[in-house]
Amino acid sequence: MSGTDTDDAGAEGSSTTGEGSSYAAQLSGISKRFGDVVANDDVNLDLERGSVHALLGENGSGKTTLMNVLYGLYEQDEGTVRVDGQVRDFDSPRDAIDAGVGMIHQHFQLVEPMTVLQNVILGTEPTRGGLVDEDAARADVEEICERYGFDVDEELDTPVRELDLGAQQHVEIVKSLYRGAEILVLDEPTAVLTPQEVEGLFEVMAELTASGRSLIFITHKLGEAMEAADEITVLRDGHAVGTVSANATSREELAELMVGREVLFDADDRTTEPGDPVLTIEDLQVIGDRGRPTVRGVDCQIREGEILGVAGVEGNGQSELAESIVGLRSVADGTVTYEGTDITDASRRSLIQDGIAYIPEDRQSEGLVLDYDLERNALLGNQTVEPFVRRGVVDWDAVGDHAESIVEEYDVEPHDTGAMAESLSGGNQQKFVVGREFEHDPRAIVAAHPTRGVDIGSIEFIHDRLREMRDEGLAVLLVSSKLEEIQQLSDRIAVMYEGEFVDVVDPGAVTEQDLGLLMTGNELDDGSEPDSGTTHGNGGDDQ
Amino acid sequence: MSSTDTTPAASDDASGDGTDAGGDDSLGRRALARLVDASIFERLGIAVASTLLALLIGLVVVAAAGYDPVLFIDNMVYGIFGTYSVADLFGTNNRLAQTLRPTVTFIITGVAVAIAFRAGVFNIGVQGQFVVGGFAAAATIVSIAGSLPGGAAGGAMVIVVATIAAIAAGGLYAMLPGILKAYAGANEIITTIMLNFVASGVVFWLLDAYFRPGGTFFVRTERFPEHVSFPQPIFEGTSFSVVGLAIALLTAGVVFWIMERTRFGYDLVTSGHQADAASYSGVDAKRTIVATMTFSGMVAGLAGAVYVIMVLSYFSDPATLPTFGFDAIAVSLLAANNPLGVIPAGLLFGGLESGGNFVNQSSDVPRQLIDGVVGLVVLFVAAPELFRMAGKRMDVGGDEQ
Amino acid sequence: MSSEDSERGSQSDDGERSTADVVSDAVYDNRWRLFGVVATLLGFVFVAALLTDVPLTKLVDIEFWLGLPYGDVFTVGFAERALQAAMPIALAAIGGLYAEKSGVFNIGLEGFMIFGAVNAAAVSWILAGGSASQLDLWIALVATVLLGLIYTAVFAVLTIRYKADQIVAGLAVWFLGLGFGPFTAVVMWGGVSSPPLSSLDTVTVPVLAEIPVLGRLLFDANPLLWVTIAIVLASYVVLYRTRYGYWIQAAGENPEALDTAGVSVRRVRYAAVMFSGAVAALAGGMLSIGIGNGFTGTGTTMVDGRGWIAIVAYLFGNYNPILTALASLLFGAAQMLRIQLGTIGVDLPSSLLEQFPYVTVIVVLTLVGATRVPSAVGESYESEE
Repeated sequence: MSGTDTDDAGAEGSSTTGEGSSYAAQLSGISKRFGDVVANDDVNLDLERGSVHALLGENGSGKTTLMNVLYGLYEQDEGTVRVDGQVRDFDSPRDAIDAGVGMIHQHFQLVEPMTVLQNVILGTEPTRGGLVDEDAARADVEEICERYGFDVDEELDTPVRELDLGAQQHVEIVKSLYRGAEILVLDEPTAVLTPQEVEGLFEVMAELTASGRSLIFITHKLGEAMEAADEITVLRDGHAVGTVSANATSREELAELMVGREVLFDADDRTTEPGDPVLTIEDLQVIGDRGRPTVRGVDCQIREGEILGVAGVEGNGQSELAESIVGLRSVADGTVTYEGTDITDASRRSLIQDGIAYIPEDRQSEGLVLDYDLERNALLGNQTVEPFVRRGVVDWDAVGDHAESIVEEYDVEPHDTGAMAESLSGGNQQKFVVGREFEHDPRAIVAAHPTRGVDIGSIEFIHDRLREMRDEGLAVLLVSSKLEEIQQLSDRIAVMYEGEFVDVVDPGAVTEQDLGLLMTGNELDDGSEPDSGTTHGNGGDDQ
Repeated sequence: MSSTDTTPAASDDASGDGTDAGGDDSLGRRALARLVDASIFERLGIAVASTLLALLIGLVVVAAAGYDPVLFIDNMVYGIFGTYSVADLFGTNNRLAQTLRPTVTFIITGVAVAIAFRAGVFNIGVQGQFVVGGFAAAATIVSIAGSLPGGAAGGAMVIVVATIAAIAAGGLYAMLPGILKAYAGANEIITTIMLNFVASGVVFWLLDAYFRPGGTFFVRTERFPEHVSFPQPIFEGTSFSVVGLAIALLTAGVVFWIMERTRFGYDLVTSGHQADAASYSGVDAKRTIVATMTFSGMVAGLAGAVYVIMVLSYFSDPATLPTFGFDAIAVSLLAANNPLGVIPAGLLFGGLESGGNFVNQSSDVPRQLIDGVVGLVVLFVAAPELFRMAGKRMDVGGDEQ
Repeated sequence: MSSEDSERGSQSDDGERSTADVVSDAVYDNRWRLFGVVATLLGFVFVAALLTDVPLTKLVDIEFWLGLPYGDVFTVGFAERALQAAMPIALAAIGGLYAEKSGVFNIGLEGFMIFGAVNAAAVSWILAGGSASQLDLWIALVATVLLGLIYTAVFAVLTIRYKADQIVAGLAVWFLGLGFGPFTAVVMWGGVSSPPLSSLDTVTVPVLAEIPVLGRLLFDANPLLWVTIAIVLASYVVLYRTRYGYWIQAAGENPEALDTAGVSVRRVRYAAVMFSGAVAALAGGMLSIGIGNGFTGTGTTMVDGRGWIAIVAYLFGNYNPILTALASLLFGAAQMLRIQLGTIGVDLPSSLLEQFPYVTVIVVLTLVGATRVPSAVGESYESEE
């Protein structure tokens, strides 16, 4: 169901012509395509003046694209954007800024070595006698901080890189306010904040709306949307599937809107029972690229002949978890044991030799060298495996044969091992990577988003192969943000949220809504039983 | 099955939220796409075109400065080949030797640069490594030649030992900036350039303080004994020996073989293409950086040994040595960092060198013109080559939806 | 993120930062650099002691250190010479600093300096042969700056618009300088070097020149010294106190932030790069007709690696114009030190002493690592549609 379904939120009076419109902004019928891909399909969103409007949806639902249209980064293919009742056509963010739309990006647009004050006034610096008049700016900035309760006015001369992320975010907001933003768009603002900082942010948001400003914030976190927003619009697959009032909805309703009532997974017939644990992970803690812990104590076991699916919205630590198991990321604390041996600090190369295959998240930068043909790519990861390399010398004939067999058995089109990896479609590239990894004769497989960007036929092929591997007794860790995939393939599902396993469940015992709830950090209310035989992480915070 | 599949656009976008690099299909990008997909032949074409264009501009400059361009070309060609008839090429004419002599060093140093650049490491220090290697060879020869038997066999032994010393010295000297880059994050462009100067200064001092034969004015070692030299079946009397050329060709071939057919080479080249893929496949990035620099330095040291033995027969003030290490950068770029491609590129530079010398001797045109032409070649090669690299960085070409 | 500066500490009571605070903060922020310099210095002293046969036991003897003839070495004359040596380096370094701060690594400074030197000499010759008046010389200097702007424009277009690799393009400029610089000389004068040319006269300010030490250094000196000082100070003010300076910093760190703030990243970069070329040309002109007596094109030309030292100077000075000028002074002094030591009978090999700047940079780079280079250097920036 598309189109808006506005609750009674006081939308009276005309909202289409510029007469004291009660809408700060209106996006009507916005469609945006990238090639064949429809990122936004006839989306409507009405932003009430002085309200907080949440834009909720999973990865890939089109939230950021929609906001980029509002912010002037993208030009919509269809539909109109109205700000303050007037139809606007933004050519660039500058136009949007001039019209009073400010955006706080997920990755802050701050110049790190410059001070807070300098960052706020960047581009609109007041001058006196040729020099920047910081004092004049200071007064204005301090006033803004006073009004909305920011603390950054104490740090105006501190370089931005010395502030913690919450403070940096405040600087971003002050920047927009300084430029006269009446509408503020916040893109996943809580992604990098601690719970306390999140509370602080919500207070700021309340202050802003109290002063007449209007806010949109993009999120995938149900709880936040409900707590901070007045209205919530849910996007799914580029469609606006519903707009509800925050105090008239429930988590269950939102989860259902977000995730949808899709075709149920078809339970496949298991012929074998899982065996002994192959991989054991205990209290694993991993630091991410930004220096913050992204895996915060994960415990689990993956047994022979089982697929453990890790579900969750991206960015909750799944990538780091997978990378640390396969030796591509160092472990801060905890252990990983493989067939009885501690491999916590083992190198990637040694793990390849020990039989842990890895289907990487990004096949184009990690899994394949795009400039190489398929034959050369067949050697990637196999550099220490006989018969491909003997005593340091590569046997290209053997590698070539290997490439051919992969191409044959894994249905890679075109059947040409001399083709450059770059020229293959996403699905064929992925099939090749999968084939190469499976041909390692591994005993454990870590598959990270194995069907991302892959056509349906290839998806089915890869799924079948994964099941085959499982039936042959391998232990498989499957990380994916596609719920369906997880449901169809997994024997057990671990839901990861903010670095921990919220719960480990039996796919047959939970619904999509349950999973949706778990993925956004909520425990299941109905006390559904977690799968036995494993320890699982603590429940996530209800945020 | 519903369409929760992420669609091709999102495959460019790891965060899966719909933003990607799509939507921009300007003319420039399409042109870039073509260049990114350039095959070997196209790259060759770019190299040839750049060289010809540079030479053409050089010719224009020559004419504009008032010299006779036709005479210039004539002198250049004669300078390179020494004759206009193919039959006479290997006769008593020694212009060809004058061309092949610098070619040898250009090839070996070019290979040294190619090793590093191919692996994504900017070793600008080949000149310094060349100097250090050459000095090590000379010092060894001067020190041990006396205590070993004379004659061809003795000479060969001395040469072998000296070459090993040179290779070791060059390797070690390059290992240092490699370690500094891998483990301390020190930018290798700066450190290697600095080390070029340091090599020059320190070697000069060593020569002056310890190796200068008493009473001589020039700062250099004594001459090597006669028997420490390469045999000259042809071109006798020049400072060129086909043995040197053979070493150069062999080096290029061996390095090419290592890069194409060994695990070490595969790791190295893959690191240069996509560091992430290399790590994924088990390559230890830090060790590879150090190994690459060391390998590169070893070959540069070899170049120094060959130069010192074949051309100089002594070692002198590094400041007086030609800037092979820097020209080698141009050579390697022209060859698209391919060791086999370095052979024709090195030959081209050898030709420019000897042609330029002859032009300088027989007319007023200064040899600095050739340096200028080299600069132009680098400039033109850099731009299209970098159109390619820029195209890759912007993810143009290949898999577009 | 950066482990270096965890807090910007000192503030006096009224919240304003006094000179003492500024200095102490500067020292703290640059502690690794200072450590590197001191360590390298000690290393060189050690080597010097070895070479002059000073027994190691003496090195730990305070009396020995106190008894050294500092007065004979650090004379005013020495300071004068050090200043003169430092001037061209400082100028070129400031240019390189601006370029890199904006995101474009101009590694071709040496080449631009060579062109600057030969162009200035050539213009001066064209105007008045070997006996140019002061006015002629100033005109020649202006002309070389203008020519430098043209050359740099080409470089800028290639690196910014066509995204040529900055390293390779810079090296190309260097080769071009080494080639076409002396070539121009040959065309002008028949040889790689010019005949003797006039240079700028020393300007003596009455009264002020009588001040001890400073008077001689500042008020009885080449007018280009004042030009240099003015440029150094101006570049400090512009970089840290004007909007253009802010934009330059942003362009090099986070061009996207600047773009969304409404400023053209491209224009900022062009401006910075052209400035770097202009100032390098002036530095070259300074060498040939400002201080020197013509253009010498033998070997590595009279520029002789100063362009590289300039890069070293601003890396050393941590992209701060004042510190860069100080670093240039340090390197200038190091260059002149050997001669000075010679006057007191200490004969240290110049070839070793000359290595001081290079070794120091290596040491400092190792200690400081990959931090502090402007984040967006080398990356071309494409504005959104």
